[in-house]
Amino acid sequence: MYGNTSLTAEEAKIVNAAVEDPAKLEEFEARISRGEKIEPGDWMPEQYRKQLIRMIEQHAHSEIVGALPEGTWITRAPNFRRKLALIAKVQDEVGHGQLLYSAAETLGKTREQMLMDLLSGKSKYSNVFNYPANTWADIAVIGFLVDGAAIVNQVINSKGSYGPYCRALERICYEESFHLKQGHDNFVYLATGTKVQREMLQEALNRWYRPLLHFFGPSDRDSQHSEKLMKWKVKLASNDDMRNQFLDQYVPKILELGLTLPDPELRRGDDGIWVFGDPDWDEFKRVINGDGPCNAERLEVRRYAELAHRWVREALMNPKEKYVTPMA
Amino acid sequence: MNNDAIKDLLYRMADDALIIGHRNSEWTGIGPMLEEDLAFSSMSQDKIGHAQALYNILYTSFGEKNPDMLAFQRAEKDFRSCQLVELPIGEYDFSLVRHFLFDHAEALRYGLLEASSFAPLAGLARKVRGEIRYHVMHADTFFKQLSTGNEVAKARMQSALNYALPYALGIFEPSAYEEALIADGVFAGEARLQELWLEKITPIVAAAGLQMPAIDAAKAIYGGRKGYHSEYLQPLLAEMTEVTSIDPAAEW
Amino acid sequence: MSLDPRINRLDLKRVNDGEQTASHLITWEVFHQDKRGKQPVHAGIVHASTPEQALMFAKEQYARRGKTANLWVVKTADVYTFNSEDEAIFETTPEKTFRDPAFYKVRERIEAFQSKNKL
Repeated sequence: MYGNTSLTAEEAKIVNAAVEDPAKLEEFEARISRGEKIEPGDWMPEQYRKQLIRMIEQHAHSEIVGALPEGTWITRAPNFRRKLALIAKVQDEVGHGQLLYSAAETLGKTREQMLMDLLSGKSKYSNVFNYPANTWADIAVIGFLVDGAAIVNQVINSKGSYGPYCRALERICYEESFHLKQGHDNFVYLATGTKVQREMLQEALNRWYRPLLHFFGPSDRDSQHSEKLMKWKVKLASNDDMRNQFLDQYVPKILELGLTLPDPELRRGDDGIWVFGDPDWDEFKRVINGDGPCNAERLEVRRYAELAHRWVREALMNPKEKYVTPMA
Repeated sequence: MNNDAIKDLLYRMADDALIIGHRNSEWTGIGPMLEEDLAFSSMSQDKIGHAQALYNILYTSFGEKNPDMLAFQRAEKDFRSCQLVELPIGEYDFSLVRHFLFDHAEALRYGLLEASSFAPLAGLARKVRGEIRYHVMHADTFFKQLSTGNEVAKARMQSALNYALPYALGIFEPSAYEEALIADGVFAGEARLQELWLEKITPIVAAAGLQMPAIDAAKAIYGGRKGYHSEYLQPLLAEMTEVTSIDPAAEW
Repeated sequence: MSLDPRINRLDLKRVNDGEQTASHLITWEVFHQDKRGKQPVHAGIVHASTPEQALMFAKEQYARRGKTANLWVVKTADVYTFNSEDEAIFETTPEKTFRDPAFYKVRERIEAFQSKNKL
């Protein structure tokens, strides 16, 4: 699962201004415009490498932090079917993290360094995982809609230019289709169930509506662009386009169950563009900057997972073996 | 064949598998490294699947309630799990040692059951053979690597082994039906299983450079097989059934 | 208090704030064979300390769905590739049609011969 990340103005300036060897740059850009992929051993502009590491790393962090809100209900899933599906689903998120860290490693940053940057706060993860899963119905909303949003993003990113990232995303998108199906199944059972179940689901939906709108990042009017990142196929679609695609696909699936969304302004315009009420972008900024309901806990748990098990990794280490950057 | 004897055996096995699967699934997302997180989670899913299959034999062969009701709507005193599987996950050393001790017993138990005169259990034993084989390979690989890794890890593994062993002996708590199961050719019995288990794990423990604690039947922690559980089972069940109990009549 | 009962059972405070050592296990390239008779295909990597452990991990990361006949692992350090600057060495290969079966077409010649000799 993953949300979008945007550049700060300063970062966008650096990306756009970087100077590289013109002949190599031309060859590199020509390859991308022919639709070919870039592979780990290729020459690449420093900014391309940096932005990809940043993006894939944040995506990887989002997977392993994203395992936590859903993990909240692992021991409480209500029957065999849900219990097995939820464990397998959270396991997949960890697996996606592993695939993505591996893809980022091919660019020269080690997994341990990335994990340390996550713990120190230097590197971010998707904001949506800073919200709590209060009830079992939140699991249905996350499994269906947060994963649905993540798929929109990941399918688009799988058409990018960096080979190892695309390969990881193809596998991830395949597994996400299981997540979406099991999420939808859970969602439909609650929506078509008893009064108690429906109420639980509606309340959860009300809680997640804003974080879902925030998921794709600020409006294009308020976020920084980098022509270069578009040209290099690092970024492939704008925040607003992805958000619109998500609303188009999922709002009807919510409404067909007689559920509502807590936004009187929400409607699809004649031009196919969805209109929605102000989702409070200040809250988005506050949460991104650490002041969300679960930011502290998420990092504390990740820190535990890393540090409490340091002895395991140290015992496994063979000092005679030298780490080299993986191939693919 | 003695139906009560077979049912008792099935409940022991199913409850063990459910509870250890439930416990081990708690590591999903917070394991020691990503690859091990995945492996441990898969094995917990396998165990929960085995529980489901065993409850299903109780349901279809003996007219007991359906698997979901047996797992999610049964009183603590009716559970026949051994206390080893109920203990909290603790730190990874304990979880791994428990996995090592339990899975060897499980592999041997299913191995014996492949020849069982009770066909549904013999069939299941053959079906899960591959999964259990992986569980044991995984346990042995990690057990050896951590025990021989460095002094810190070795000390942790030894102390986890010392702590877990009396509980592990509780796996083999004799039942009132031992003789019936043996006479009917259903199962070779807990005493035989414990013998085989000790023959199997003792050399692995030695090869890993750890001391095998003295095997003292007086110290074995029994009770689970008769419904006397540790302080940990009731809260585990309350947690596991929290959602179901919001509306037990609903379909979840 | 966490909403997650699992987390409440962890002794989160026990973990000291010490820096994590920047050491890491080596990586292994994993090859997946989906059925007997098929080529094993590169699937990704795992971090592990020994070949046994790499296989154990590869099984759950790369073979937990669908069919698998076997897995191979090889240390990343033992895999060699060409530099991508040398990619040109492959450039004219597709033009070497004399290596392709489709290059050899004699039917027309045979037919011409047959019609000429009234065969």
